[in-house]
Amino acid sequence: MRKIIDVLPLAIFIGLVVVLFSFLSEKDDQLETVLIDSSFPEFSLKALTDDSRILSKDDISDLPALINVWATWCIACRVEHPFLMKLKEESILKIYGLNYKDNKNKALELLKRDGNPFEFSIYDFEGRLAIDLGVYGAPETFFIDKNGVIRERHVGVIDERVWEAKFAKYLDE
Amino acid sequence: MNRLILLVFLFFSIGSISSNEEKIILNNDAYPFESETKELLFYSLLTELRCPKCQSSNLSGSNSPISNDLKREVYELVLEGNSSGQIKSHLVKRYGNFIIYNPPVEPTTYVLWFGPFILVFIASFIIFFIRKRASK
Repeated sequence: MRKIIDVLPLAIFIGLVVVLFSFLSEKDDQLETVLIDSSFPEFSLKALTDDSRILSKDDISDLPALINVWATWCIACRVEHPFLMKLKEESILKIYGLNYKDNKNKALELLKRDGNPFEFSIYDFEGRLAIDLGVYGAPETFFIDKNGVIRERHVGVIDERVWEAKFAKYLDE
Repeated sequence: MNRLILLVFLFFSIGSISSNEEKIILNNDAYPFESETKELLFYSLLTELRCPKCQSSNLSGSNSPISNDLKREVYELVLEGNSSGQIKSHLVKRYGNFIIYNPPVEPTTYVLWFGPFILVFIASFIIFFIRKRASK
């Protein structure tokens, strides 16, 4: 008993060091997604390409689909752009864009130059729909199933590996 | 004696900082309010809510685009007459418990809430035994 008491403080200290040290190397800074398994939020915002067209939740009609949060100021979005183009060209599923706090002309220019993988892009200059989606940066990608329910969310670049690991399984449902 | 003087100075320095802050806050016209209760609620919420992008600062201490959007959201919710609890749960529904600095007591936060007490308990247990042995 005495011996145990003698080494206990040191043991607890070492234990704490090990546990806390292991948290240091954890690079996963993704926030929890509260919206998983809830239906896509209602919204009413202009289309990026057409000021007179007001988009709402009902316009995201070709399900299942991806909602991709993008902007021209977001460098990582350019990295994932070719992969989104590939999903479109191979008709794997529809992608709807959420253009987030962006310059409209620059956004249109980019779609013209690099191709447009989106059915349409919602122009969310004030970040309103983004708040309802819990978005805190770009790029972010949401998977909406055939019932309009958010099933998965990825913060950061989406590529072949992320698609296979996180999204592909929902397509087969 | 020196320590006592230091302590007195320290005490007054804290007081002066916080009163300065209040003056700055109440002169802010960026978010106009008609009622002082709502204004106070707004600014107290800004210190209690966390910026999702910068993670180590609250909304009031951050000027990032997302923080400014969230300030506008909180401002509108306060104007609509929502209570502090309603506004917090509105944001928790979107950003998770991360957004509030005061996490709820639930299984994932048990270690956070009860861990320190358990450590204090173990430590006092050890100290008790060591002292008991030393007095023999």
